[in-house]
Amino acid sequence: MMHKTLRTTSVGSFPKPESLQRMRVRYRRGDVSYEELKAAEREATERVIRLQERLGYDLLVHGEMERGDMVAYFAEHWQGFSESLPVRSYGNRYYRKPIVEGPVQGNPGLTVESWKLAQSFTQQPVKGMLTGPYTICDWSFNVHYPDRRALVLDLARVVHEEAKALEEAGAKFIQIDEPAISTRPEEIDLAIEAMGIVTEGLTAHTISHVCYGRFDLIYPALLDLPVTQLDLEAANGHFALLELLSRYPWPQDKELALGVVDVHSHRVESVDEVKAGIRRALELIPPERLYVDPDCGLKTRTWEEAEAKLTVIAEAVQQLRDEEGLS
Amino acid sequence: MKTCLVGSYPKIPAGSGPSVRTAIQRFEAGDISPRALHETYRDVTRRVLALAEAHAVDLTTDGQIRWNDLMDPLTRDVDNFRAAGLLRLFDNNFYYRHPVITGRLQFQGGTLAYWAREAVSLTSVPVMVALPGPYTVLALAEDQSYHHRDRLLADIVEVLRLEAESLVNTGVREVQWDEPGLATHSATPSLEEVASVYGDLTQNPPVPMSVALYWGSSSPWLRAFEGLTLNRLSVDVVHEPPLLRYFAEHGAPYPVGFGVLNAREVRLESVDELTRQLEPVIRRLGEDAVLVHPNSGLELLPPDRAEAKVALLGQLKVTLSGSPHSERGGN
Repeated sequence: MMHKTLRTTSVGSFPKPESLQRMRVRYRRGDVSYEELKAAEREATERVIRLQERLGYDLLVHGEMERGDMVAYFAEHWQGFSESLPVRSYGNRYYRKPIVEGPVQGNPGLTVESWKLAQSFTQQPVKGMLTGPYTICDWSFNVHYPDRRALVLDLARVVHEEAKALEEAGAKFIQIDEPAISTRPEEIDLAIEAMGIVTEGLTAHTISHVCYGRFDLIYPALLDLPVTQLDLEAANGHFALLELLSRYPWPQDKELALGVVDVHSHRVESVDEVKAGIRRALELIPPERLYVDPDCGLKTRTWEEAEAKLTVIAEAVQQLRDEEGLS
Repeated sequence: MKTCLVGSYPKIPAGSGPSVRTAIQRFEAGDISPRALHETYRDVTRRVLALAEAHAVDLTTDGQIRWNDLMDPLTRDVDNFRAAGLLRLFDNNFYYRHPVITGRLQFQGGTLAYWAREAVSLTSVPVMVALPGPYTVLALAEDQSYHHRDRLLADIVEVLRLEAESLVNTGVREVQWDEPGLATHSATPSLEEVASVYGDLTQNPPVPMSVALYWGSSSPWLRAFEGLTLNRLSVDVVHEPPLLRYFAEHGAPYPVGFGVLNAREVRLESVDELTRQLEPVIRRLGEDAVLVHPNSGLELLPPDRAEAKVALLGQLKVTLSGSPHSERGGN
């Protein structure tokens, strides 16, 4: 049962257990079958769900055990893309940046199986997880479309079909990640238009996660993104985001999911510092429209670090619920 | 004309060979020693320099193989300039540890000079160092101490100058000040201020100095650099193609670097088309005053495409100069 206020969630990816990492390598080498890989993913997904349940999380994620990278995964399964050699994105993290070499075409239902699997392990709602059209465009090389707008809008139609497939399968929460949305402030209207195509006609609760950019350059325009919930990273920037949010009234029809632990730091935050951040957010957003979560996906952390950070969030929220009399 | 490589380069190989990525993973897993990791950095640096040599590049960085990002040497060499949370680097899907300024900047030095000396020892190609210019530092750093822009800017200029001085006797031929902060208009100082700040930074240079504007418009800033003693001013032709015609018509008081290869797109440019575009400006400025390069570092490309761009630079040089080998170290 979900709490009614100050709910907890997670953003997307979880660290892959070593056994799955080994299995993925062996599968690429042709040493194990597809079925064996899927069995390892299934086991890891169940572990992700059980952890979130044990910590009392309200809105769960499936952990993306079947995905390497949030853009490359879709490019690998859709038409129109080829795969590049890895490109560094920060530190020692690399991704295979897709190359758009033809008209993009989807494969509706691609993400349904992994969502259904995760949902089968729990009574709590599990998010369907998609990457938004603007981010897929921005994180790909384009050698086919005449301009970015043409590519983004074509991708929006493909992502919409995938979102519809998730909804038809029963997903009540669909997250469409747009971490690149702040990259070019002059294109915020394009990103909003594209999200409008993605979410048009959906009845599911829609969420968009945005992180690691200049929020100040796209705010308050960001509030026009046609989704129910904005999920924003804050801990990485020492909660400076809240100062920006305080300049405008938070819209009545939107929820905020606030990132309260830094997913790119080995340090595990204290319960007190997480509570302090949430308290500041509660001054701006009523608790019934506030979720808390990590800043971003947890895949760059070890399993132990991810569990520790999620535990801190759970404890901070529980203490605040008790202290503030929230249900 | 001459060719140069102006910034970072992929740390992984296009095929087989040493890889910083793999070495760090193995190091963190406890499978290799600190010395083995150190030697991998050196081997990969050597590979990048060998690639430059193979394509007769006239001036190159070391590919910044040991750098985490553009700010990295400064966070190591300057006290109270601490690497903090990740932020997107301008409009790239690349994230840097943004520096937090926690007290008055103090130059300590050591790291960059060591890296530079190592690079020079590994190649016969003239080596330059590309560092963030003062306005890019100002745009990318978070000030938690000064709370006074002009005083902070003055100290940034002074520590950058000290960093450049630390490169004397390392064999480095040039220091390039990277200013994507200006080109992207993340910083918007007056032209007079830019001229004054760069006047302070580049007067009686301890090593020859150049400025590179990229990832945005170079033209608004050209006048600011006119009266300065620059070894080169590099402009981003990918972003602003009319610059070629501008310089062909107006000339320039300094050698000009033309960023004609798109360092952020995999599509390979046509040598014939680039030749056609560059010929007028070479005629106007003279062969010795024209350098051709990617518009920024090549690390944002997959390694095979980065290699192809370097090879293309070599082809372009042969086509335009008739020989792959122009006089080395003429800057």
